[in-house]
Amino acid sequence: MGKTVRKLLLVFIPAALCAQSSFDQGRALFRSNCAFCHGMTATGGRGPNLVSAPLSHGDTDVSIKRVIRIGVPGTTMPAFSEFTDEEVGQVIQYLQSLSKSSLRNENVPGNPQHGQQIYGEKDCSGCHRIGGQGSIFGPELTRIGGARSIEYLRDSIIKPSADVPEGYEGVTVVMKNGKRIRGLRINEDTFSIQLRDPSQQIRMFQKDELIGVTHETESMMPAYDRLSATDLQDLVAYLATLRGAVDSSAAVKKAGGIK
Amino acid sequence: MRLPVFVGWVCAGVLCAQPVTFERIVNSKAEPQNWLTYWGDYGAQRYRDLKQIDTSNVKNLRVEWIFQTGQSGAFETVPLVVDGIMYFTAANGFAYSVDARSGRQLWQFKYPMPDGVKLCCGTVNRGLAILGDLLFMVTPDAHVLALEARTGRLVWNREMASTDQSYGATLAPLVVKDKVIVGVSGGEFGIRGFVDAYNAKSGERAWRFYTVPAKGEPGGETWLADSWKRGGGATWMTGTYDPKLNLLYWGVGNPGPDLFGEVRKGDNLYTAGLVALDADTGKLKWHFQFTPHDTHDWDGCETPMVLDIKWKGRDRKVLAQANRNAFFYLLDRETGEFLMAKSFARQNWATEIDAKGRPVLSRNADPSPEGNRVCPGLAGAANWMPPSYNPETGWFYFPVREQCDVFFSAPPVYVEGKAYWGSMFRGQTEEKEWGLLKALDPLTGETKWDFRYYKAPWAGTMATSGGLIFSGDEDGYFMAFDAKTGKNLWKINTGNRLVTAPITYTVGGRQYVTMPSGSALLTFALP
Ligand code: HEC
Ligand code: HEC
Repeated sequence: MGKTVRKLLLVFIPAALCAQSSFDQGRALFRSNCAFCHGMTATGGRGPNLVSAPLSHGDTDVSIKRVIRIGVPGTTMPAFSEFTDEEVGQVIQYLQSLSKSSLRNENVPGNPQHGQQIYGEKDCSGCHRIGGQGSIFGPELTRIGGARSIEYLRDSIIKPSADVPEGYEGVTVVMKNGKRIRGLRINEDTFSIQLRDPSQQIRMFQKDELIGVTHETESMMPAYDRLSATDLQDLVAYLATLRGAVDSSAAVKKAGGIK
Repeated sequence: MRLPVFVGWVCAGVLCAQPVTFERIVNSKAEPQNWLTYWGDYGAQRYRDLKQIDTSNVKNLRVEWIFQTGQSGAFETVPLVVDGIMYFTAANGFAYSVDARSGRQLWQFKYPMPDGVKLCCGTVNRGLAILGDLLFMVTPDAHVLALEARTGRLVWNREMASTDQSYGATLAPLVVKDKVIVGVSGGEFGIRGFVDAYNAKSGERAWRFYTVPAKGEPGGETWLADSWKRGGGATWMTGTYDPKLNLLYWGVGNPGPDLFGEVRKGDNLYTAGLVALDADTGKLKWHFQFTPHDTHDWDGCETPMVLDIKWKGRDRKVLAQANRNAFFYLLDRETGEFLMAKSFARQNWATEIDAKGRPVLSRNADPSPEGNRVCPGLAGAANWMPPSYNPETGWFYFPVREQCDVFFSAPPVYVEGKAYWGSMFRGQTEEKEWGLLKALDPLTGETKWDFRYYKAPWAGTMATSGGLIFSGDEDGYFMAFDAKTGKNLWKINTGNRLVTAPITYTVGGRQYVTMPSGSALLTFALP
């Protein structure tokens, strides 16, 4: 399993396409610009399913275009402001033709009320925050249902190391006295590192004061791989209902360009 | 009586400037107090015999002055220093002249770019060239300008090629004899690249060499059908020059469309390669192609450093280049003969480089509709950031980028003025990038030491007889290293990614080191 750390190297890829149909052009644009998050077939991953799940920002061409153009502030959905109208049109056409074969009314199986109960029992809020409640150690889950596919949510619980989002990578620093400190990396450069330890303290080091820095390949979240199938399904169903508002004051990521 | 025209027109402290002549640039190493041409010397060794700042005292280096340009965009300039005066450019068509001791401005120039021009390649600029009382620069819309060095007044302005066809320019011109040699950007937009020479006084074009041969010309057979017309081959970095051979060495960029080779079957000469041109006529003397039929945007525009070495017991005039494709090359610079290639970073696109210098390709390294992971990535294991050479150690010092990409492709259609990538490249890979500052023995390609950076760098290096190598990283650290051991001896966080190479000079016997960061030009000295 790719225990890898996610690296965003978003580069807007313009396309003076293309001899073939605009479906092909849309697909080519989608594969190289969007598939990284939304999956090769647009059924979701680190980004939501765009084919068979209801779209929280609306499923008309106009609303999809808006999301592509300006991104979703406070999330990893970047703004593709450099796409031409024609290119945006081709991507939308591609997406809409995919969803025709599977209507956007995906039914999430399971009992979300029971899922919420499990969330409490397992003390997920010891690391996560929903609507201002809980801990800031792990990623906020207020909007996780609108931001990820169902499969991705399930994997996040049973094999969290499969994909670790930027900003939540685990590191261990070894101090000169042999003491080891494990935490989430907030920032790092050639000479220094800043991290948040499990007690939510911010710890800051110059690397020459340390014996070493190890980048963990394992997630800092324990794998909940012994949940019963129903409990897991219910927990995922609960997470899928979490569609709180995005923080609109947050910055929009921009798909970069290349010189 | 005939008065010498320029003598005595500029004085800094007790020192009065002589005009910069071609001979002075040829002998620039004899004037370590100055930085007379983009590379510091025609051979691009970027080495200065200055040792006031050395391995024992560099820890005391501190900021002497800061010049704020206020210009946003990458600050990629390399300043010139002539007898106490510094000249440099910034993004958006700006040029400046300052007192090199104090950073106080003497003049500022802003290129009046016509409204509404569409730029292919941003507004970055890499610096100036000087000859006599004229400075030369290029503009984002592919013009060449001559400015009066004393005032910054525009003297002449020539268009190289039209922005309607997506030409642009970012490099620092190279002055050779009475000519100003320049190149163009636009390799992602279906241009046909060229190297141009202009008469320094009049601005008249003296010659042009097309880096993509037309049908019927030698090399034209390496392009399918009429694909040469949009063949790319940008010449976006300054070349080097050997005055004895009177040859220019100019790197040639990627073929177009970048990632879709089907429409341009063949080797696609002279793209992703290097051309040796007669400096007087622009005639091709020899060429070498690092990456025939490139499909990863691996321009051949990295610094072709001029070195004289003992190769297998014989004195050899060579060129050394750490190429974007992750191989370090040695070529004979009289004939273009291939001598050696050694990989210096992770790569999975070639199983070997054969005895003639041609790569033997791996499978699944071409862009594909589903994407193929290739190392190095599109930006390459090396790029335009210049290396340096220290004659005492005999080593070659350069930044290495460890980063891979996923390459996608789909058939493109050429539309004038639009990007011609072929279609899209690079999603993103799941791996962390990192970087190295590497000291390499150019005779063997072996690593002597390296220093690891957290991110893949975009800053070049400079070597001094003080036993130091200066360079910078992506997090904004400007650093000095022991040239022998690679030990980091000094650092300062400048607060912005470093995207050019430092210079050093002296005024009044005091040694300075200058490095641009963000929109500020930082100059350091010992207290
Ligand atoms: C770096 C990851 C990433 C990339 C690349 C990306 N997206 Fe997204 N996208 C997201 C995330 C995360 C969301 C959910 C944002 C939210 O919380 O509302 C999203 C949301 C969307 C939505 C709205 C979904 C809804 O429920 O209304 C659309 C439409 C969309 N993306 C289309 C695209 C297209 C088209 C591309 C390529 C041109 C693309 N995305 C590239 C991560 C990404
Ligand atoms: C010890 C702290 C900790 C606990 C307890 C914990 N998590 Fe996590 N969780 C994390 C961290 C850290 C991450 C980010 C790294 C990763 O994705 O593996 C994460 C990631 C996630 C994600 C993916 C978030 C995203 O943005 O993609 C989900 C969903 C999630 N956790 C749900 C849960 C649930 C449900 C529980 C309780 C059953 C739980 N977590 C318990 C620390 C924790």
